[in-house]
Amino acid sequence: MAEGRDLDDLPHAIAVQQRRTRISLVWIIPIVAALVAVGIAVERLMSEGPTISIVFKAAEGIEAGKTFIKYKDVKIGEVTAVQLSDDYSRVEVTAQIAKSAEGLMVQDAKFWVVQPRISVRGISDLGTVLAGNYIGFDAGNSKERQRRFNALERPPIVTAGQPGREFVLKAKDMDSLGIGSPVYYRHLQAGQVVGVNLAAEGTSVEVKVFVDAPYDQYVRASTRFWNESGLDVSVGASGVEVHTHSLATLIAGGLAFDTPSFESQADPAAANSSFTLYKDRSTAMKQPENNVANFVLYFTESLSGLSVGAPVTLLGLPAGEVSDVGLDIDPKTLNVRGRVEVTIFPERLLGRLSETQGALAKSLGVGTSKRVAFLERLVEERGLRGQIRLSSLLTGQRYIAFDYFPKAPTVKVDWNKESPELPVVASSLPDVEAKLTSILAKLDKLPLEAIGTDLKSDLESLGQTLRETNKLVSHIDSDVISGLKTTLQDTHRTLAVAERFMQNADTTLIGPDAPAQQQLRDALKEVAQSARALRVFAEDLQRHPEALLRGRSEQKETRK
Amino acid sequence: MIVSCPTCALLCRASDAADPGRCPRCAGDLEHRRHDSLQRTWALIAAAAICYIPANVLPVLTTSTLRSAESDTIIAGVIYLYTSGSWPLALIVLIASVMIPVGKLSALAYLLIGIQRGSFHASRARTRLYRVVELIGRWSMLDVFVIAFVVALIQLPPVMIAQPGPGVPFFAAVVILTMLAAMSFDPRLIWGNERSRYG
Repeated sequence: MAEGRDLDDLPHAIAVQQRRTRISLVWIIPIVAALVAVGIAVERLMSEGPTISIVFKAAEGIEAGKTFIKYKDVKIGEVTAVQLSDDYSRVEVTAQIAKSAEGLMVQDAKFWVVQPRISVRGISDLGTVLAGNYIGFDAGNSKERQRRFNALERPPIVTAGQPGREFVLKAKDMDSLGIGSPVYYRHLQAGQVVGVNLAAEGTSVEVKVFVDAPYDQYVRASTRFWNESGLDVSVGASGVEVHTHSLATLIAGGLAFDTPSFESQADPAAANSSFTLYKDRSTAMKQPENNVANFVLYFTESLSGLSVGAPVTLLGLPAGEVSDVGLDIDPKTLNVRGRVEVTIFPERLLGRLSETQGALAKSLGVGTSKRVAFLERLVEERGLRGQIRLSSLLTGQRYIAFDYFPKAPTVKVDWNKESPELPVVASSLPDVEAKLTSILAKLDKLPLEAIGTDLKSDLESLGQTLRETNKLVSHIDSDVISGLKTTLQDTHRTLAVAERFMQNADTTLIGPDAPAQQQLRDALKEVAQSARALRVFAEDLQRHPEALLRGRSEQKETRK
Repeated sequence: MIVSCPTCALLCRASDAADPGRCPRCAGDLEHRRHDSLQRTWALIAAAAICYIPANVLPVLTTSTLRSAESDTIIAGVIYLYTSGSWPLALIVLIASVMIPVGKLSALAYLLIGIQRGSFHASRARTRLYRVVELIGRWSMLDVFVIAFVVALIQLPPVMIAQPGPGVPFFAAVVILTMLAAMSFDPRLIWGNERSRYG
């Protein structure tokens, strides 16, 4: 086939009028791609939060790209670099914070490493054993933004926004308290110790406690805080007291607070207000005595066992306490004597009165002159005297008792002194000792030896008497008893004869082998045999009546 | 002037040199050269080049283990493979995922520039280059394929999870766009315009 002809045969294309655009629509594709790429880039840039650096003492388990920063268990950032600080003493961690958490990066924000912790109060953050450590975060209250932080060495106990209030307690020392020690309110855990500072002058410590809501409303201006740590064993005039709280406080220490019933229960304490930390509950809850009367007593006897705080009683009821025990030189005689200062709480005594008498007592004690007159009457006329007494033989603790001693010599008391000297009487205790001694002495004087010899001779004569009695008894034996004996023997013989006779009768008549019996048995046997034969015969007859005529048949077998 | 119908391959006479008209058999548009070949190829190359940036900057695979989550870009994967000692594997990934897309784009750009400048120097070599580009195109989805496999296989929720990263669609777009660019390129242009040679 010729090429030319074929080419000539080629059909003609259909002509169309087409407007060709100079710029193809295909350019939309790169434009869209560019828009998407730019959009993503912009979004990335916009969502990129701040980069912060956190300074740690040690970067335990912190790895770049693997460790997160979490706030309320939500990831808010990621560690991008871990490096040593310029002076090689610390670790500087650089982290990328999410845009959404940018506002949290303020001046007082807190960072710390979360890792498993084991303490007396339990095990925490066990999840990090598997998932690895992370950086904990807690928001601050400040508005000032910051990009560089110093990490805490241990997790903060109270997180931001936790309802409750913080208070400051002033204590002499920390005792066994530590950060995290529990704070109890009526044995419920109400908070924790969150910080401990030494006061500026170094003489006391400031314990910061955080009391959780709703317990914080029970902290009032008049609330007392005390140390509940460990085991409190006190030996006082009232005996041995052992006081413990929970096992955890035994080991880790703890605090407790309460408001004494005599205080106002109204106004709640303001946050960060300051309180005194008492050493124990009884000290803390003690009613403050605003009306006190001080007296001094001088003793010439031993003051051992009498300590500061020992009770002072009036007619056996508590009236005050010993405030000081010391020595004194009597200016007149230059003798050294014991000095005991006591504090009396008149309110306590007034409280013991019945209601109707309260007014009367008050009228007696209001004005100084009246009170003096009242006391004067008691001491100088009625003979009210102080005395040292032993409260417990076991512990040897002593106390001061005021009682009436009408026979005591009268004294004049100078009531104008700040601490008037009250008259005393010697302790009754030395009397006991003296009495014991005299008893022993008397015992000593007893003629024990003479008594011994007397006793010996008495015993001898007693022995003699007994022997004689014995002789008399033996005499009775030989004379009277022998006669009686022969009579008895005779009786015995008669009885033996009777017995033999009876036995004879037995063997012949009723014994199992007695001849009479044997014969009777044989006779009966024969009768029985005859009866049997008769019965057999009768039966035979009944069956074979013909036997009467023909004699016994031999066909018995076949009939059967 | 004779034109072959791109749809039914019927040879027919063009009605006009500038606009060949329609095929008398199938009524398809007749073209001397692929319609707007240069412009389309350029546009697709540009789009692919734009997508190439996020494809490499954004992570392609996010693996979350119990301890942490890691997002890796392609380059990070190459570096990881290299530092962990398997440099042959690193080389394969580097060539397949980084160099080949760049190579394809620059090869097509080179061909296009050559045509636009009207240079017919070493036309055979350039045609061969075009064939190589077209051939490689379909193998460039290797990365996307591997990621699809990994994501499907590693799903052990609390311990380990692999998830595709935002870079994957961009990477796929790069591959597809370069393939389309190679398709829309008319290799006949390498040999000159119809008017310049056979006009």
